Amino acid sequence: MSSKSSSSFFNSVVKKQFMGISGLLLCGFVIAHLLGNLTLFIGPDAFNKYGYTLTSNPLIYAAEAGLMAIFLVHLVLAVQLVIENRRARPIPYAYSRKHSGRGATLASSTMPITGALTLIFLVLHIRGLKFGTHYETEVNGIVMRDLYKTTIEYFQDPLHVLFYVVAVCSLGLHVSHGFWSAFQSLGLNHPKYMPKIKCAAWAFGIVTAVGFSSLAIFSYFQGGR
Amino acid sequence: MGGNSTETMSLKLKIWRQKNAKDKGGMVDYNLDGVSPDMSFLEMLDILNNKLVREKGDSIAFDHDCREGICGMCSLMINGQAHGPQANTTTCQLHMRKFKNGDEIVIEPWRAKAFPVVKDLMVDRTAMDQIMAAGGYVNVNTGNAPDGNSILIGQNEAELAMDAAACIGCGACVASCKNASAMLFVSAKVSQLALLPQGQIEAETRALAMVEKMDELGFGNCTNEAECEAQCPKGIKLDNIARMNRGVVRGLFAARK
Amino acid sequence: MSSTNPNIKKLDGKSPTGPISERWSNHKFHMKIVNPANKRKYKVIVVGTGLAGGSAAASLAELGYEVETFCIQDSPRRAHSIAAQGGINAAKNYTNDGDSIHRLFYDTVKGGDYRARESNVHRLAEVANDIIDQCVAQGVPFAREYGGTLSNRSFGGSQVSRTFYARGQTGQQLLLGAYSAMMKEVHNGKIKSHTRREMTELVIVNGKARGIITRNLVTGQFEKHMADAVVLATGGYGNVFYLSTNAKGSNASAAFRAYKKGAYFGNPCFTQIHPTCIPVSGDHQSKLTLMSESLRNDGRVWVPKAKGDKRPPAQIPEEERDYYLERIYPSFGNLVPRDVASRNAKNMCDAGFGVGATGLAVYLDFASAIKREGEDKIRARYGNLFEMYQQITDQDPYKVPMMIYPAIHYTMGGLWVDYNLMSNIEGLFVLGEANFSDHGANRLGASALMQGLADGYFVIPYTIGDYFASNKFEKLDPNHAEFETALSASKSKYDKLLAINGTKTVDEFHKQLGKVMWDNVGMARNEQGLKKAIAQIQSIRENFWKDVKVTGTNVDVNTELEKAGRVADFLELGELMALDALERTESCGGHFREESQTEEGEAKRDDENFAHVAAWEYQGDGAKPLRHIEELKFEYVKLTQRSYK
Repeated sequence: MSSKSSSSFFNSVVKKQFMGISGLLLCGFVIAHLLGNLTLFIGPDAFNKYGYTLTSNPLIYAAEAGLMAIFLVHLVLAVQLVIENRRARPIPYAYSRKHSGRGATLASSTMPITGALTLIFLVLHIRGLKFGTHYETEVNGIVMRDLYKTTIEYFQDPLHVLFYVVAVCSLGLHVSHGFWSAFQSLGLNHPKYMPKIKCAAWAFGIVTAVGFSSLAIFSYFQGGR
Repeated sequence: MGGNSTETMSLKLKIWRQKNAKDKGGMVDYNLDGVSPDMSFLEMLDILNNKLVREKGDSIAFDHDCREGICGMCSLMINGQAHGPQANTTTCQLHMRKFKNGDEIVIEPWRAKAFPVVKDLMVDRTAMDQIMAAGGYVNVNTGNAPDGNSILIGQNEAELAMDAAACIGCGACVASCKNASAMLFVSAKVSQLALLPQGQIEAETRALAMVEKMDELGFGNCTNEAECEAQCPKGIKLDNIARMNRGVVRGLFAARK
Repeated sequence: MSSTNPNIKKLDGKSPTGPISERWSNHKFHMKIVNPANKRKYKVIVVGTGLAGGSAAASLAELGYEVETFCIQDSPRRAHSIAAQGGINAAKNYTNDGDSIHRLFYDTVKGGDYRARESNVHRLAEVANDIIDQCVAQGVPFAREYGGTLSNRSFGGSQVSRTFYARGQTGQQLLLGAYSAMMKEVHNGKIKSHTRREMTELVIVNGKARGIITRNLVTGQFEKHMADAVVLATGGYGNVFYLSTNAKGSNASAAFRAYKKGAYFGNPCFTQIHPTCIPVSGDHQSKLTLMSESLRNDGRVWVPKAKGDKRPPAQIPEEERDYYLERIYPSFGNLVPRDVASRNAKNMCDAGFGVGATGLAVYLDFASAIKREGEDKIRARYGNLFEMYQQITDQDPYKVPMMIYPAIHYTMGGLWVDYNLMSNIEGLFVLGEANFSDHGANRLGASALMQGLADGYFVIPYTIGDYFASNKFEKLDPNHAEFETALSASKSKYDKLLAINGTKTVDEFHKQLGKVMWDNVGMARNEQGLKKAIAQIQSIRENFWKDVKVTGTNVDVNTELEKAGRVADFLELGELMALDALERTESCGGHFREESQTEEGEAKRDDENFAHVAAWEYQGDGAKPLRHIEELKFEYVKLTQRSYK
């Protein structure tokens, strides 16, 4: 009867806990990434210097590998959970489930969709920026990659901006449920603090969506110069 | 009551009919007149069944017993909501005054792989008994008990345990969860016993055993949607799931000492 | 009475002798014991998984017996014990108010109007304390005081606070405790739980109960189950009345099948009526809902002084209201016992003073209490009950007086058992509400849970061992003739029901029976009415077997067929109840014969002629059953007449 071949250690609660921990770590990355990228507002040199500092550190490869691993854990588990959850109800309801308004939210019921969208976005994002056109520049006598130029150029295409904004909004929605959900899965709940954690999750989602969107829109308008 | 509602209603019912577990089943339409607002939802189905029998039809099978909201036998997905539109209410306590003349009501069985349909609206919930048998108890045989007052329990803990113990095992949490997960049901029992000193000795192994059995039986995973909590007729709280999650972590460490 | 019949027996209840407080201990010592290693060689069938059946199954399995349980629901946890609200009594004397085992014993015998066996009741009072301990150990979340000790409340007019409770869900919590214990033994492989199975026959081999036939409610198949003893814990038969506070599925079939196989039926006419239920709202009514008796602590019962006064209650001025309980019983007022309160409500409605659309209701008014103490206090006390009332009736009891009416609630009668809880058929044990034993003619509040668990946890584990150790059991062949006969008898009953193909539904017949029972074998009974009822029941039964319409087949779930089988038995049991009520010409407890009342209209016992248990023996279809008797001796509780004036 079991649809799960994994050992007893990896029960559904533990899976959710790994999902939660990996998700929280990825949240950490998102925040760090956002803060770093805000240098874009300061100007080309600041942004490029920030990029150079990161990439010239030999630990970056280890960090990237770690990030990749965390992401893969989150992804593989997500796929497994979605498959299991679908199997748990082979015959759907004829009358689509009506939310009571007191439980499920748009964020909670679209986690697999917003997650998948994030994955697609990530691939395009890395291809278009990290592996995008390579320019070079010199700041304070050091030759480094002109990521600023790549970024501004990339966002001259309004479709890129639009997709980026949609994607980061969806990510914002994803974390607005995922962030507090991780605490719940880990059992770190307290009647007093849970409402605050939920607020924090929403704030986090909004900051993510607004922060990254503003970068893309800013870049678009920088191109006219 | 007291005849304060003399007007009757006519309803369009769409009901899932399925002869037995092997039958494919499908929705069938029925029109029912003369429904009094004072009837309970199940009394409305009684009237329909009596009508069907008189017309040589096979009556619609649905589970029910105490009809006072405590046995957990009644079920039904009513217009996409477990136990219907009224919060904190089982189907047997739902009254027809919550509906209007001419309403269309879609009635379906609980849907989950672990709850196969037996007939029509009746499903097999023995999976819940199996989860209970995996660890939903305190291992104490009759005759071993010390005096009741030798175990002191704070009023607050006793009340919290009672909140969790109020679960009637109806399966509405599974039915309303988009993943057909049984976490709320399992966590209610795990929590009740974990909150009481009598149950603490086995708390970790119990949580682990019950979760493993739940997985084995093909229930889905929890995605913290809280729809279970919202549709639970007894107001069982999501906090219980968090408490169980803690217990599972402790159990994993304890079990692998 | 046919007292000249030479076949009439004086039954021996096998009560031990000696000082009452030592009887159970002595009896336990003298009973034979099965060696621990041999226990697994004995198999016990337990039918019904409520408080009595669940606790018995768990305890017997713990001892090492092989146990198979059967229930009609989809899970053992759903038995109707779950609906008990109030609490469970025990003489712990935690409240220091003078309670003792002897007082609990005394109250129960007296409350039962002296129609219970003293030895049984004393044992019940003794083991009650152990029940509380056992349930606490299982994790039943009883209410607690701030200091962590168990909380008690007073209940049902008792003079001491001895009732333990878990909010208004005590029955549920105790049942889940017993169910958990059962599931523990399922896990240990000692209990095999069969759900959605209905017992259709008892099988007796060489004079001993050796098995049952069940109908699988999912597949319609008839199945043979063999064992060394059969335990029936199948609850009461209140649903004979169609409308009662029992669950829809509660039925008498298992017990009645045993009766038809020779088990004696004790005091079938002893039924209890609860005064505070939500009244019937129309023909569609399928069951009645009980509201806790505690409501009468603050509510005042009244009807209009004018017959047929249809004004809304708010428009009826104070001087035009008849607070009849306060008027008739100035010292007890609204707090008279259940049977007295019920009977008076019926009298008022019969005389045309009833209120509501049906005229079958009286007001229970909280206006004075709300005025005296404020709405908040009343809400704190009865909030959940008021909510439940509003949910069902759509009326707000804080503003409009509640309407209440009595309803059938519990049946004290049941299969006759001896002190060991064994019926006159060897190896057939009967526990809980299904037996007749401990409540006499009237059950006190919070005593049903106590009896069910006492029988299951602390009596049957000892007495069944004595039975096993004292008897030899031959090995049975699955094709034994007795099993084959019983199986085909079951099958033909259901085939016959399906073949009738008449014009009336099962529910229609059940409602007809219920009305006859309620009108004539309900709160007040008289010779003429009872004779009329017997004739009417016979004619309904005859019609039923000619004109019932059962659709569907016998191979899938067929809820109509299930109901038909049960109603067929109710149609016979109803007659037996009326017959028992007819022959017991005295009034006692819940049995009120209008011919036997005091000048004040109170129940008048006839201890000279009726201080006994009537145990009916089946004599074949159409033949009048034999009325055996078991004399009751009262050595410790003096016989006195109740008075509540």
